[in-house]
Amino acid sequence: MSEIDAEAELPAPSDGLARALHRFRQSRLSVVGAAMVAVVLFFAVFGQQLAPYPEQVAGAVDTTARFLPPSMAHPFGTNELGQDVLSLTMAGTAVSVLAGFGVVLIGSLVGTLVGAIAGFAGGWVDEVLMRLTDLTLTIPSLILAMAIAAALGPGFQNMVIAISVSWWPGYARLVRGEVLAAREEVYVTAARALGAIPGRVLFRHILPNCVSPIIVKMSLDMGFAILTVAGLGFIGIGVRPPTPEWGAQLAVAQAYMPNDWWTAMAPGMAMFLAVFGFNLLGDGLRDILDPKGRR
Amino acid sequence: MLKFILRRLLLLIPVIIGLTVIMFAIARLLPGDPVGLAAGPNATPQERAELAHEFGLDQPVWAQYATYVTGLAHGDLGRSLLTRRPVAADIAAYLPATLELVLTAMLIAVLIGVPLGLLTAMWRNRWPDYLSQVLAIGAISMPRFFLGLLMQLVFAMWLAWLPLGGQLPIVAFPPPHVTGFITIDALLAGNLDTFMVALRHLAMPAIALSLSPLATIMRMMRASTIEVMGQDYVMTARALGLPARKIIMKVIGRNAVSATLTVIGLYFGWLLGGTVLVETVFDWPGLGLYATKAIISQDMMPVIGVALVIGLIFVFANLVIDLAYGIINPKVRYG
Amino acid sequence: MSEIFPRLSRRDLLGLAGAGLAAASFPAPLFAQGAGKVLIIASGQDIPNFDPHTSTGYSASFMMRNVYDPLVRVSGNPPEPVPALAESWQVSDDGKQYVFKLNPAAKFHSGQPVTAADVIYSFTRALKLAKGNAWMIRDIVTPEGMSAPDAGTVKFTLATPFAAFLQVLPWIFVAEKAAVEAHLGKDQGQSWLMTNIAGSGPFTVSRFQVGTLYQLARAKTAWQPGGGNLEGVIWQIVRETATQRLKLQRGEAHIAVDLTAEDMDALKGAPGVVRVIEPEYRTFSIKMNTAYGPMMDLNLRLAVSYAMNYQAMIQATRYADLMVGPLPQGILGQDPNLVVPRMDVAKAKEYMAKTAKPEGGFKLKMVYVSGLEQERRWALVLLDSLKALNIGLDIQPLNWPDVVASAAKPQTMADFFPVYQTANYGDPDNIAYAAYHSSRNGSWSNPVYHNPEVDKLIEAGRTEIDPKKRVEIYHQFQKVVVADAPDIFGVLERRKLGLRDSVKNYHFTPVASNAIECWPLSLA
Repeated sequence: MSEIDAEAELPAPSDGLARALHRFRQSRLSVVGAAMVAVVLFFAVFGQQLAPYPEQVAGAVDTTARFLPPSMAHPFGTNELGQDVLSLTMAGTAVSVLAGFGVVLIGSLVGTLVGAIAGFAGGWVDEVLMRLTDLTLTIPSLILAMAIAAALGPGFQNMVIAISVSWWPGYARLVRGEVLAAREEVYVTAARALGAIPGRVLFRHILPNCVSPIIVKMSLDMGFAILTVAGLGFIGIGVRPPTPEWGAQLAVAQAYMPNDWWTAMAPGMAMFLAVFGFNLLGDGLRDILDPKGRR
Repeated sequence: MLKFILRRLLLLIPVIIGLTVIMFAIARLLPGDPVGLAAGPNATPQERAELAHEFGLDQPVWAQYATYVTGLAHGDLGRSLLTRRPVAADIAAYLPATLELVLTAMLIAVLIGVPLGLLTAMWRNRWPDYLSQVLAIGAISMPRFFLGLLMQLVFAMWLAWLPLGGQLPIVAFPPPHVTGFITIDALLAGNLDTFMVALRHLAMPAIALSLSPLATIMRMMRASTIEVMGQDYVMTARALGLPARKIIMKVIGRNAVSATLTVIGLYFGWLLGGTVLVETVFDWPGLGLYATKAIISQDMMPVIGVALVIGLIFVFANLVIDLAYGIINPKVRYG
Repeated sequence: MSEIFPRLSRRDLLGLAGAGLAAASFPAPLFAQGAGKVLIIASGQDIPNFDPHTSTGYSASFMMRNVYDPLVRVSGNPPEPVPALAESWQVSDDGKQYVFKLNPAAKFHSGQPVTAADVIYSFTRALKLAKGNAWMIRDIVTPEGMSAPDAGTVKFTLATPFAAFLQVLPWIFVAEKAAVEAHLGKDQGQSWLMTNIAGSGPFTVSRFQVGTLYQLARAKTAWQPGGGNLEGVIWQIVRETATQRLKLQRGEAHIAVDLTAEDMDALKGAPGVVRVIEPEYRTFSIKMNTAYGPMMDLNLRLAVSYAMNYQAMIQATRYADLMVGPLPQGILGQDPNLVVPRMDVAKAKEYMAKTAKPEGGFKLKMVYVSGLEQERRWALVLLDSLKALNIGLDIQPLNWPDVVASAAKPQTMADFFPVYQTANYGDPDNIAYAAYHSSRNGSWSNPVYHNPEVDKLIEAGRTEIDPKKRVEIYHQFQKVVVADAPDIFGVLERRKLGLRDSVKNYHFTPVASNAIECWPLSLA
């Protein structure tokens, strides 16, 4: 770290990337996770078009074909309205993934902002923001999300907002820690000495260094966000019908067990596999991008 | 140390104020008509106004908040608009069931997670280790309510080994109230039959709830054990042919306790709030069910009360855990 | 599979397995504690509180019917008033005066006899609190209109003749004046009655755990004739209907009161289970916003009424009958020959052509009560049906309080507003008044519809005493309402109860039949 030019201190991207890719391929689990996530994303984009009964995804019903057990025509059977469970589940991927991503994105943006300001400003600003962060952490997040979602009423946006409200403190703490550490590093001191304004130091020098841990946390959080979205749907405060959603599907299916158990299998398994994929990928990414975070 | 405890306890006051302010703000966001709901569909506008007046809902929000905080100082958490019952009494009735469930889940997680973590550390980088890693991530990824439904389907409906839900069969009278935990009270009363029945009811929801902390404890134990084995003094001791076993065992034992404590600290509040879905699936008469019902009928006093109680338990549990760290590791200073 | 073993269906296996569990999870000593014949009823609804004059909901009705007594009860199919506290009564020719003779055997749990003063006190208290079921007698019974010629006689002089007076009396319960007055407090004894009983009913509360169970025990003072062998009754809160059904199958509950059509299918042929599937006066229709927005257009309402796939509605419901007009079949004055819209796409398009936007291409909005599975299904059927008219449907689940709030103004009411209407008493006036009289505008039971002619007919129907004339009035009422097409007349869901075959002497009455009256029942 003898060079004065602060820009040069950033990790050389090409070299780091190559090493990371190499390590990534070494870890078979993360490759599996990446593959699963790719499948999930594929269904999130094309699930609705590829569904065998696309008109049912939009709400069409076939009340003469209710509760058909799994068959060639309906690999996961039909539900209480004669809709193809596989079609609904495929189409439901979009809501879960989008909502999960929305939550993680909002949470990370807000959290990063709060954490960066707290860490960089220090003093009473830091104190106030971090107390607020700690406070939000003590409120049971699911109950908070449920209360807000119930207050706002069902709907995609409302659900995302409700969950995001309790999602940012983790990022705030993470980023604040990184900022505090980075602030002391030589290149920042140097940049300051060269007369760089604080905002520029924050955005050009400090935040880029926080990107890796944030991305790792985001990928690990994706799975949990999807779980929370499904949880709200399960309790009945998720999206509106006819939009298919895994948690809501499962909630309805619960009433038909054990006789018509198949209505629960496709949405439940889809939920598990999607979350599993994101967690495997996140676990792998952590080993590569954020070796410090490895326990 | 006493000073430390006092200081931490004093910190509870801003937590209480902050929590109640946030929850009150959310309660004000509600666009619905909780009074209309509680008054019933055939109430006249005058009856609704009377009800609103009775609960102080016609006052400005700061006055409502002031009333609430004054009551709080006397342990009064307000009354439910819907049932008109005092929230504090309701929470006292529901809390033990939730605590019993969460503590049992924690116990399962520790009893299985610690030895599994040790074993996987021993088998490091061999197939059982990889398998355990996959299983751990799988366990964390499994939606608790889906797992609950699957267990119900298999163990309660198809195999009929375990009861579907609830805390006790309905004809059974609960044992005399001592701790509020049915299992412990049954043992205290010397009633083994009730204990066994209560345990059977507890099994599925506790297992469904224990998976995440179990996986986390296991992974932490594995990592810390591997770290200990690679430590210089262990290596040196081994190289010198000294009986390293004793040292390793001692260090590992301490690691086990500290990993467990960390996970409990991490998960305790999360589990208390996260039992909602499991309680819903298993009809477990705990705080989660109580809060869900209140949320759906926009009856905000119980929701604020539950959030407050869980938040306080969370903060309190972490205080206890911090103290426990100090006991196992005297190097920790109470600043 | 060899011939020795008969082929068992999966359900049979389940039943067998369930029997095994029931034995396994109830060790004998646990039973011994409960002792005697205790009837267990599985229900999804918690009992809000025990005050007979403020609580509502069928769970509260269950409680009141068993721990309190009204002047008369309702029994039979079709339902008829039968003696309760009143052993006999007389009605004046103009329908304004009712004289009730109290049963001298009637005793409160305290041992004190039930007197006319207690009756008058209870009616006055109900009117004063104006909660719970008080609306049923509001503007009909007045404090001045009640008198007690002697301790065993109560005389009512009604403010206006009311044909259904005897039908509403089962819902006004009598509490012990002295007991309530001893705990009056500042709120007419509401705090005390919330968790205490001051009744004369055949049972009293022996223990309860809010949100979990309420146990009743046979009152020592039980004076009612015709009782069964029950020592007690447990009202157990079981939220999931599928769980209620499984408990019934396993014998962990004797009666399940919230079963779905799917549960009934699953219970078909289940050993030891009796299914009760009976028509009840419980209508479901989808109200349209006749006062604001596109549905103000009668032609659009008719187009939608003819586009609705009624067959799918029935198939998605099972165990239900299509409604024929605004009144439930079987009730006094319902016209079985009434002509109502049935699915006819050609006709729907004919009416659609007369609207402002004959080509469709717009969206309408429907709300429903979140969690009500049948309403969700019907909303999807409507969405499917509207496609024929090229109309889209936004479906919005709302919590019940939000639904109630949205009904307050025409501007906030959705285009489609589904409503279940349960007849609290077996008289056409109940549904006609609540669902179509303009005085109910702004409430969930009739948010916007108003037609002066309909109002007049409803008022004539409730003050007329002669049943024949009433039938004529209600026939006319139905014709006018159907011509206005304010609702998509939906279905009458049958009441679906499940009973163990060990429950004896059960007779179905189509009035609040899920609030089980336990006194006549026995367990084998």
